[in-house]
Amino acid sequence: MSVENIVLLTIFVPIIGSFAIPLASLLSRSSRSVWAILVSSVTAVLPLTLIPFALQGGEQVVRLNLALGLDFVLVIDALAIFMAGVSSFVGCLIVVYSVGYIHNEEHQSEYYLMVLLFIGSMMGLVFSGNLIFIYLFWEIIAISCWRLIGFYRKPDFVIKADKAFLVTFFGAVVMLLGFIQIYGLTNTFDITAMRGTLIPGSAVLLILFGMFSKSATIPLHTWLPDAGVAPTTVTALLHAAVLVKIGVYAFARLFLYTFRVPDDWQTIIPILVVVSSLVSAGAAAVENDIKRILAYSTVSQIGYIFLGFSMANPAGVSGSLLFILMHGLAKAGLFLCAGIVIHATHEKDIRQTGGLIKTMPVTAVAFLVCAFSVIGLPPFGGFFSKFLVIMGTVQAGEIWLAGAALFIAVLTMYYLMKVFSLVFLGEAKHPAPEGTKSMVYVVAALAVLSLAAGLFAAYPMKLVNIATAQMSWWLR
Amino acid sequence: MTPKMLLLPILLPAALAVLFLVIPRGVKLLREALALAGSAVLLYYGFVLFSLKSLELRLPWLGMGIDFELRLYHFSSFILLALAGFLLLITLFSTVKMKDAARVREYYAYIFLAAAFANGAVLADNFVPLIFFWEGLLISLYGLITIGGRPTSNRTAVKALLINGFCDFSLIMGIGILWAQTGTLTMSEVSVEPTGLAAAAFIMMMIGALGKAGAMPFHTWIPDAAVDAPVGFMAFLPAAFEKLLGIYLLARITLDFFALKPHSTLSIVLMTIGAVTIVLAVLMAFIQKDFKRLLSFHAVSQVGYMVLGIGTAVPFGIAGGLFHMINNAIYKSGLFLTAGSVEHRAGTTELSKLGGLRKEMPLTAFGFTVCALAISGLWPLNGFVSKEMVFHGALETGYTVFAIAAWLGAIFTFASFLKTGHSVFFGERSQAIPEVKESPAPVVLPILVLAGLCITFGVYNKLPLNLFIQPILEGHVEAGAHLDFTSHALDLFNPIALISLGCLALAFLLHTYGFLKSGRKPYLASEPVHNLPGVHKLYDLAEARVFDFYEQGVKFLHGLSTVLYKTVDRPIDFVYEKIVTVAGERFTGILKKAHNGHYANYLAWCLAGLVVVAGAIGLLLK
Repeated sequence: MSVENIVLLTIFVPIIGSFAIPLASLLSRSSRSVWAILVSSVTAVLPLTLIPFALQGGEQVVRLNLALGLDFVLVIDALAIFMAGVSSFVGCLIVVYSVGYIHNEEHQSEYYLMVLLFIGSMMGLVFSGNLIFIYLFWEIIAISCWRLIGFYRKPDFVIKADKAFLVTFFGAVVMLLGFIQIYGLTNTFDITAMRGTLIPGSAVLLILFGMFSKSATIPLHTWLPDAGVAPTTVTALLHAAVLVKIGVYAFARLFLYTFRVPDDWQTIIPILVVVSSLVSAGAAAVENDIKRILAYSTVSQIGYIFLGFSMANPAGVSGSLLFILMHGLAKAGLFLCAGIVIHATHEKDIRQTGGLIKTMPVTAVAFLVCAFSVIGLPPFGGFFSKFLVIMGTVQAGEIWLAGAALFIAVLTMYYLMKVFSLVFLGEAKHPAPEGTKSMVYVVAALAVLSLAAGLFAAYPMKLVNIATAQMSWWLR
Repeated sequence: MTPKMLLLPILLPAALAVLFLVIPRGVKLLREALALAGSAVLLYYGFVLFSLKSLELRLPWLGMGIDFELRLYHFSSFILLALAGFLLLITLFSTVKMKDAARVREYYAYIFLAAAFANGAVLADNFVPLIFFWEGLLISLYGLITIGGRPTSNRTAVKALLINGFCDFSLIMGIGILWAQTGTLTMSEVSVEPTGLAAAAFIMMMIGALGKAGAMPFHTWIPDAAVDAPVGFMAFLPAAFEKLLGIYLLARITLDFFALKPHSTLSIVLMTIGAVTIVLAVLMAFIQKDFKRLLSFHAVSQVGYMVLGIGTAVPFGIAGGLFHMINNAIYKSGLFLTAGSVEHRAGTTELSKLGGLRKEMPLTAFGFTVCALAISGLWPLNGFVSKEMVFHGALETGYTVFAIAAWLGAIFTFASFLKTGHSVFFGERSQAIPEVKESPAPVVLPILVLAGLCITFGVYNKLPLNLFIQPILEGHVEAGAHLDFTSHALDLFNPIALISLGCLALAFLLHTYGFLKSGRKPYLASEPVHNLPGVHKLYDLAEARVFDFYEQGVKFLHGLSTVLYKTVDRPIDFVYEKIVTVAGERFTGILKKAHNGHYANYLAWCLAGLVVVAGAIGLLLK
């Protein structure tokens, strides 16, 4: 199959597959689950088949001319393939976990429909090379998130879902204004035609609204901890692996791959993201709700990804790309472990839990491994990404920011170890067994992957280095 | 001998570690046999590699100059050999001590994982593999302390993790600056003058090395771990492995990466850290009433001598510091094992409950005596030689104050070991514990081996000095300078050695005075000093962890977090939750009034909106 067809399948299999969910549910509940797992695994496998193409340094642009300059453009390069591979893979694991997690809930058809639509739109967004299509997929994702966050239908949950939708929608619309401003300069929405264009600071600001709202960066971040009212599977998908990576992906695609950003923004952005990272790490250390802690932790880690990208040097950019993978695996693992705990004990407050390592050994170890990876301890994957981001920051001469980033790493260690100690160690308050097998297998798999990604970091690194080289036109 | 052989000291223990996790708990014999065989093989390879001296391996890894580079040369091969030796002895000891421990599988796994990481860190010739293995040791550290299984074990484990994590992150920062300055990550190619930003890198990396070695103020988890962690862990990581690694890196920093000059500010900084560590830690050790906790403060105090020696930046002092590193690892590990042996039989390590065990545990008592005299620096044991070298080095720099601090340390070291020996093995037989037997051979043998090494390295000090220490300094002394540290190693008749012996005599008097003054109870012999006016208050504050920068640091982290949460995060959320919604309601309230049902009105609204949108787009398109 040609590269082009594989990419089209990657986008349209989950999108079309998602609309077939209600049909499958007419047959039986189990056929719906099977269909969801099938579609998501096909979506996960397809980008993997493109890796050999990416490793050879392949780049391909597919263009379908439509009216009004709204050409359907696909950019197939190492960056897109890497991002698609990571998101669809974690998405697939989350679908498998969902089978155990929500099997007693109502509205399951809607749930699977929205999750698959989410994954499909993500694929579309990743491969899109047209600003308008990026915006389009961006908003489809926002809509499916809105439904998913309010999945439990309680009135205050729905308000939180509205909050998430309104903040991200507001950001996206402001970003669209930025796109229009750029169109005024270049007369095109096709990013492949605009590489190396210097864009005005106002456009940078407008687009940053979109990125920061989607990637939950201060001051547009508080919807993310509030979105913890969603089922844990959704929070794992949203907070950890996929949704919050949209903003950083857009940053890489637009501000690194495509445009040239004015110099003063190149000094402001790193400071903004480090402040965001620090404040949210502090919030994570103060909160007591396990899901809110993990959500704030995500905000904090996203800061590192932005930081590495904004350094625009090989170590920083590669580190941030690797960070997307490592953080996706580890943070999804943490959320799903938290999900097992909540599912079994019906308790979200870490002060009310304890001693669960005795009844949930696998979950406890998986949580610890994922926490070590998020902290950045070797031999787990998170070490390499955090290390490279910090190296990149130092190389760019931003010693103080690198120092702040390392301080945040200490803070991360402090609050994650606090969570682990309070939830899994000490005196048992709500002894409860681990959930269904599919849930435990998934967290175990994520923990093993976090370890493997560290031990074999050289393999993803190859792809990441190629992606960095393809993006960095300014280094050539 | 191919370069790939260098992977063996890393991969073999790592593979064994995985295996230990898999082997069921009940299969004791296989586990112990594998552990002993594995560490014996590592020791054998240690000798083979030591005889090879020079081997390099370079595998491509992450790109950007981050390669998997390993380099064997005399320094790394010496440390590698020492690590393997300690691993074998600790494993032997653990076969008895950990036999029925609850998490014995994990214990062995962590021990061998630590060995794999330590070997990797020593062999690394690229900063990224170095920090990878170096920081990876934290996993073992955390795991092994939690195995202690006491209610406070986890707290101590987190404390150790945070303190060491802080130091390791500092090391990362130093590496980053060094990389940015030199453009290379290959350790053997880096050599810069420690000025300007490079001085910052020096300090950062120094913190990393000192943190691993457990120098002040990064030591505070060690005394806590002495109580909360298994004693085998104490003899293994804080006493032996971490000292070897920390001092190895410190020596690499001062000798290779940055050429530290005598009399430079950085040299004085290092010497000050060393001197302060010696004195404060030994004063804390002196008043302890638990065998293990007392030893742990000495483990900190002795680091001071090594740091002081290396900090002098004169060849004699550096050689002394390095020799002290290996000597300290030998006797300190031995001492922890004697504590373990006593704990194994008597069930306690509290000095007040022990007493007169020398008849029932003669071999342990002998091992303790030799190691205690060695750490006190008694002629002709190994501690005497290396301490004398440090004294000489300190005096050579011209800063007498550092030598005085070192001597002060010697007084209290001997006094506290007189107290310990008197309380545990000598003196009257305690009635608090029932009759005990000598520990089994796997416990006693490592102690005797280590005691034997104390004697050998003291009496035949030329052997280790010429074989291990001298080659490290080759190429680091001025060209043509005389490179021989053995000339007056055991010389008793020079002023410095006489002062040292005078210190020991003072210590003896101090102990006797304290013993008589406190009602002939040896474990209270330190009380006269403890109760000095003013001093007592300081001791109380220290015991209450007021000077513990970890406790203060955690308070700071918590306070900072609360401030950030309350002053930044919540106000931002307030804007969304309250201001935006209220403003929205007000605004829609106004709009509501505009909806009066007149057709013309709506048309006007639409037109106005169109104009605004068109205007905005037009403005942007300009």
